[in-house]
Amino acid sequence: MHNETTKIAFLVAIATMVFLLVPVFLILYIRSYNRHKKNHFLEKQNMQQKFESEMLQTRVEVQDQTMQSIATELHDNVGQLLSLTTLTLNSVNLNDGEKAKKKIDNSLALVNKSIKELRELAKLLHGEQLVENGIGHAIDQEINWLNKAGTYELKVNNQLVYLQITSPDKDLIILRLLQEIINNIIKHAQAKQIHIDTYLEKNVLHLKVTENGIGFDPNEMKIKKSGMGLNSIYKRIEMINGKLVLNSAPGEGTSISIEIPYP
Amino acid sequence: MRYLSPIFIAEVICFIVAIAIIWKDKNAFGKVITCYLAIALVTEEAAAYLGIRGIHNLWLFNIYIIFEISAILYGLYHCIKKYVNPKPIFLIGLGTIILTYIFFLFTQSFSQLNTVTITVMSVIFTLFCLYYYYLLVTDENFIEIRIHPEFWWVTGVLFYYFGSTMSNLFDGLFTVKLIGFATLKYCIYIILNLILYSCWLYSFICTMKQRKLHS
Repeated sequence: MHNETTKIAFLVAIATMVFLLVPVFLILYIRSYNRHKKNHFLEKQNMQQKFESEMLQTRVEVQDQTMQSIATELHDNVGQLLSLTTLTLNSVNLNDGEKAKKKIDNSLALVNKSIKELRELAKLLHGEQLVENGIGHAIDQEINWLNKAGTYELKVNNQLVYLQITSPDKDLIILRLLQEIINNIIKHAQAKQIHIDTYLEKNVLHLKVTENGIGFDPNEMKIKKSGMGLNSIYKRIEMINGKLVLNSAPGEGTSISIEIPYP
Repeated sequence: MRYLSPIFIAEVICFIVAIAIIWKDKNAFGKVITCYLAIALVTEEAAAYLGIRGIHNLWLFNIYIIFEISAILYGLYHCIKKYVNPKPIFLIGLGTIILTYIFFLFTQSFSQLNTVTITVMSVIFTLFCLYYYYLLVTDENFIEIRIHPEFWWVTGVLFYYFGSTMSNLFDGLFTVKLIGFATLKYCIYIILNLILYSCWLYSFICTMKQRKLHS
């Protein structure tokens, strides 16, 4: 009997030790899991910060682009119109009534044209509000501006104008991507025709820009890492989980196809 | 010497620290646990007094477990409510313990130790502790375990009640004396109490650290 009690006591002692070890391992597991969770949380926070900083940079770049367009427009267009108006008004000879009337009418027409141009510029100044109205309108505005220059033969199929859904952050990035692509075309492509195609299909926004310029070797560009702003385009697309396909060859123009999950 | 048992010393230290740190807490948790520690202290000493004089003292522990059930359940409720609404499961747990206690009152003499209720309550407390861990792990926010008071309070409870399971189940079947009057069961309870009060002590220190961080 005494032997039996000792056995039970021994069993209880061992079992209690095991029962005390279980919480120890449980704590170690929770500690390790919690550490992973902490790392994941910090990583997420870091990515969020990066995203916000990138958004801020994008916003600044969009504003910069707008300012540049306005400066160019004021210098090349409104400035010229007003100079011409001054010249015309200066040459008015009040003694020659008929000619004077004609010149004053011409000046009035020039001033009216300047007012119209200034109104267009005011619209451009509200570029960011334009994004708030939807990416379709923002793209439309961008294309109108390009069309006004009259340098390119444009073929546009913008199906995003009537889009009901929005995604403010993505919209701003998409607009900036388009601006960057158009900038590249203006600066480097020497293109005559530009074809812009935008549409939304199965929650994926498609943006295709094709031009018939001088083209380039994408592999060479990758090695050089010089960019033409391509690095920032890739970085931004990656940031919003998008995909970019670039096709180009010297003398054969360039085609850029972007797919972005939307909204 | 029997008045100054290791359990009593651990309880005194824990009680003093509780008064100094968690009594000032705005929530009821601090006050409930401090009061519980005071009751545990008084019970421990009263039981020792009765034991030394050869007077039966198990009835005292039967009264004490009512306070134990209330305080530990409230503490666990306080910890779990930060993640979910635990009222339904706590009502079920409390109901089960009360029924077991009533069953004991009707079936056994009050001078015997209420081991059935102690075993049932240990199992329920262990389940609540594990549920707390589950909520902690599945919660999308992370906590600094090292300085999280609730975590260490629950850990103390888990060590004590999970560790005492075997002693509760085999109660009365292994009255082996190890040193002098100290039986194996007593030694196990000394170790469990030391772990429990160490965890609680650390939990109170964590409360103080957090308070300093937030001030």
